[in-house]
Amino acid sequence: MNNAAYIQLFKLAGPEMLIALAALAVLLVDLTLMRGAPVRARRVIAVLLTGVGGFAAALYLLQVPLRAVSWGGLWAVDPLTQLVKLGLVGLAVLTAVLSLEADYTDHVGEHFALLLLATVGLMVMAGAADLVLVFLGLELTGLSLYPLVALNKAGPRATEAALKYFFFGALAAAVTLFGFSFLYGLSGTTNLAGIAAALRGRGFDPLLALAVVFSLVGFGFKVAAVPFHLWAPDAYQGAPTPVAAFIASGSKLAGFFLLGRFVALALPESGDAGRAALFTPGWVPAVAVLALASMVLGNLAALAQRDLKRLLAYSAIAHAGYLLLAVLALNGAANRPAALAALVYYAGTYALAGLGAFAVAGHVERHAGAAALNHLTGLGRRAPWLAAGLAVFLLSLAGLPPLAGFPAKFYVFAAALNTPHAGAVSLGLVVVALLLSPVGFYYYLRVLKLAFVTESEKRPAGPDAPGNSPQGGENRFGVETAVALLAAAGVLGLGLFPQWLLGPLQAAVREAGG
Amino acid sequence: MQAALFYIFAALALVCGFLVVANPFSRNPVTSAMCLVLTLVWLAGLFVLLEAFFLGAVQILIYAGAVMVLFLFVIMLLDLRAEERRRLKRLGLVGGGLVAAALAVLLRGVIHEAAPAAAAPPAVEGTTEALGRLLFTRYLLPFEAVSVLLLVAMVGVVLLSKKELK
Amino acid sequence: MSPLERALVVSALLFGIGLAGALTRRNAILVLAGIELMLTAVNLNVIAFWRHGGQTASAAGPAFVLFVIAVAAAETAVGLALIIAWFRQRRTVQLDEADTLKG
Repeated sequence: MNNAAYIQLFKLAGPEMLIALAALAVLLVDLTLMRGAPVRARRVIAVLLTGVGGFAAALYLLQVPLRAVSWGGLWAVDPLTQLVKLGLVGLAVLTAVLSLEADYTDHVGEHFALLLLATVGLMVMAGAADLVLVFLGLELTGLSLYPLVALNKAGPRATEAALKYFFFGALAAAVTLFGFSFLYGLSGTTNLAGIAAALRGRGFDPLLALAVVFSLVGFGFKVAAVPFHLWAPDAYQGAPTPVAAFIASGSKLAGFFLLGRFVALALPESGDAGRAALFTPGWVPAVAVLALASMVLGNLAALAQRDLKRLLAYSAIAHAGYLLLAVLALNGAANRPAALAALVYYAGTYALAGLGAFAVAGHVERHAGAAALNHLTGLGRRAPWLAAGLAVFLLSLAGLPPLAGFPAKFYVFAAALNTPHAGAVSLGLVVVALLLSPVGFYYYLRVLKLAFVTESEKRPAGPDAPGNSPQGGENRFGVETAVALLAAAGVLGLGLFPQWLLGPLQAAVREAGG
Repeated sequence: MQAALFYIFAALALVCGFLVVANPFSRNPVTSAMCLVLTLVWLAGLFVLLEAFFLGAVQILIYAGAVMVLFLFVIMLLDLRAEERRRLKRLGLVGGGLVAAALAVLLRGVIHEAAPAAAAPPAVEGTTEALGRLLFTRYLLPFEAVSVLLLVAMVGVVLLSKKELK
Repeated sequence: MSPLERALVVSALLFGIGLAGALTRRNAILVLAGIELMLTAVNLNVIAFWRHGGQTASAAGPAFVLFVIAVAAAETAVGLALIIAWFRQRRTVQLDEADTLKG
C-alpha cells in the first residue's frame, strides 16, 4: 500500500534497522544453530555477530551522508546525530567485547540481543525530534536495560538492583509523560520545534513551568542527576560490570545529547529583561538546581565509598552536574553551537573513560569476587597494563591536563561563562565546580594509591577472594585489558588533540543549524 | 446530560482509584487489582465522552483486559496471603494523601488560571481512520519502534521469569 | 467549569492518587498499580487537550495515547517479571526489604 513510506523508513533509519537486525540474528543463531554448543563458543559467535552489525551500521553512518528532518519533523538526521550515533554504536561494540567474559549467565543470545536493542533505543533517543520518539527512545532503552541489570541471577544483588532501577525508571517516565501531556496541551503539537514556536514569547506561565519541570524528571533520571540519582549506585554495583559500563557510557551520552536537544529545540530561552525573565521558561532555575546538587552530592558521597563501582557511580553523578552546566549554557542562541559541541565532547570523552574504568573494575571483580577498593592493592604489579589504564581513566575524570577530561572541562566551563542572561548563576556554578575539583582529585588519587603504592602484605585471598586463579591467570592479556588499552588510547589521543573530535563536532553543529 | 455523565464517571473513577492505593476494607492485593480494573473502565467511559471512541475501546481491551489479567495472574501465582497481614504505615499514608491533595490544589489553581479558553468543539468524525492513516505514514517510525519495544519486553520477560536450572 | 478544565482536574487528582500510592506503598505490585494510574491520568490529559484544545484536526493526540498504552503494557509485563524474579529469591514483594545494597 505505502511502499514509499517504508522505503523512506529504511533509508532514514538505516543504522537503527541494521542494529535491530543484528539483534534478531544473534537471537536466532544462538537459539537454533548454537544450541548445545559450549557457552564460550556461543559468546564468541554472539560477539562476532554484534561486531558485524555494529560495523555495518557504522559504515552506513559514515558512507551515507543524509540530512533530513522527516515525517513532519519527527526524526532528525543530520551530521551531528550521525556522529553521536556512531559513538553509541562504538560504545555498544566495546561493551559486547567486554561481555565476552560474561560467565554469569547462560542466556547468551538474550544478553547480546538486549544489548543491541538497548543500542537501538539510544539511537532513537539521539535522533528524536518529537515527544513521541523521545518517550519511546527512553522507554526502549530502559526496558532493555532493566533485564540486563538482573542478568546475574545467581548473584544476590542483581535482582534487587534491577528492581530499584525499574521502579525509579517507571516512576520518572510517568512524571515525564505528565509533563509532556501539558506541553502538548499548551502548544497543540508534539513536535519539539513546533512546541518552541508555539511557546515563544509567552510570559510567566505557571502551567508551562510545571510542564517543563515535570518533563525534566525523566531526563534527570536517565542522566542520574541529584535528586533522581538514587538508583545509580545500586544499579552500578549490582549489575554485571559490562552492563554497568554500558549504562555509565552509552546511556549517559544519549541521555545528555537528548536533554541538550530537548532544551535547545523545545524550550524557550529566557529573555534579557531583568532577573524575573530568568524564570520565565522555568527550565533554567530547575537545571541550575540539578547541576548544583549533583556536583556537591556526587563529589562528597564519592569520598565515603569503599567499592570501586559505587565510587564510579558517585563520580558519574558529579560529572552529570558538570554536564548540566553545558546544558545551562544552551540558553541563548548565540552561545548554543559552542555549548552543544562542548556538551557532546564532554559526554563522549566521559563515556570512554567511564567504560574503561568499568573494564578494569570488571577484571578486578572477576578475579577477586568483588570490586572493593582494597582488592585493588598491588594491581600495578599484578596487571601493569590494566593499572596504567585505570590511572589514565581516573586522572582524565579528575581533569588532569594531558588527558581528555581537561579540554572537556575547559570547554564546558568556557561555554558556561559565556551564557547570556544567566551570567551570575553560571559563574557561581563554575566557581563551585572548581572548588570541588580538589575533592575529586582526592578520591581518584586514593584509588590510584591503592593500586600502585600500597603493598599488599596480607593478600586479599582467603574468604574475600574466591577467584579461581589467585596469581597466575590474572596477568593473562584478557579482553578487559584490550578494551581498557583501547579506551585509554582514545582518552589520551583526544586529550592531546581535542580538535580531532571537537573539529568535526563543531562543523556538524554548524551544519545542523545549532 | 454530558456533564452529568462526566461527573458520575469521574467520581467513580476517583473513588476506585483511591481504593487501589489505600483500601480501608481489605488488605488483599486482589481487591486492589479489581479496583484498578474498575478505575480503568470508568476512564474508558470518560474517553468515550471526550469522543475518543477507539481509545476507549483500546483502554478496555488492553488495560482492563490484558494488563489486568497479568496483574491478577502474578498475584495468584505468588500466593501473597502472608503479605496481607503487614500493616500499612499510617504516617506514609497521611503523607501521601497530603502530597496528592497539594498537587491537586496546585494544579487546580494553575489550570484555572492558565487553561486556554475552550472553543466550541467541532464534532469529531472518523478519527479511527485518521489515526490508522497517521500510524502508517507520519508515525511509521514510532510504530516500528513500538514493535521493537514489544520484542524487547518479550525477550526481557522470558529472561527474567525463567527458572535457572543450575 | 469548562469541559477542558474539569477533565484536567480529574486527571490531576488521579495522577496525585497514583503518585501518592507509588511513593507510599511498599508492596511492589501496588506500586506498579499506582504507576498505571499515573499513566492513565496522562492519557486523560492528552485526550482532553485534543478534544477541547482545538486540535481535533490532527490525530496526533490519540496517536500519542496509543503509544503510551502500548508502552505501559510492555512496562507492566517487565515489571511483573522482575517482581517474580525477586520473589523467587527473597520470598517477598515488599520493597522495603530491598536494602542489601548500601554504601
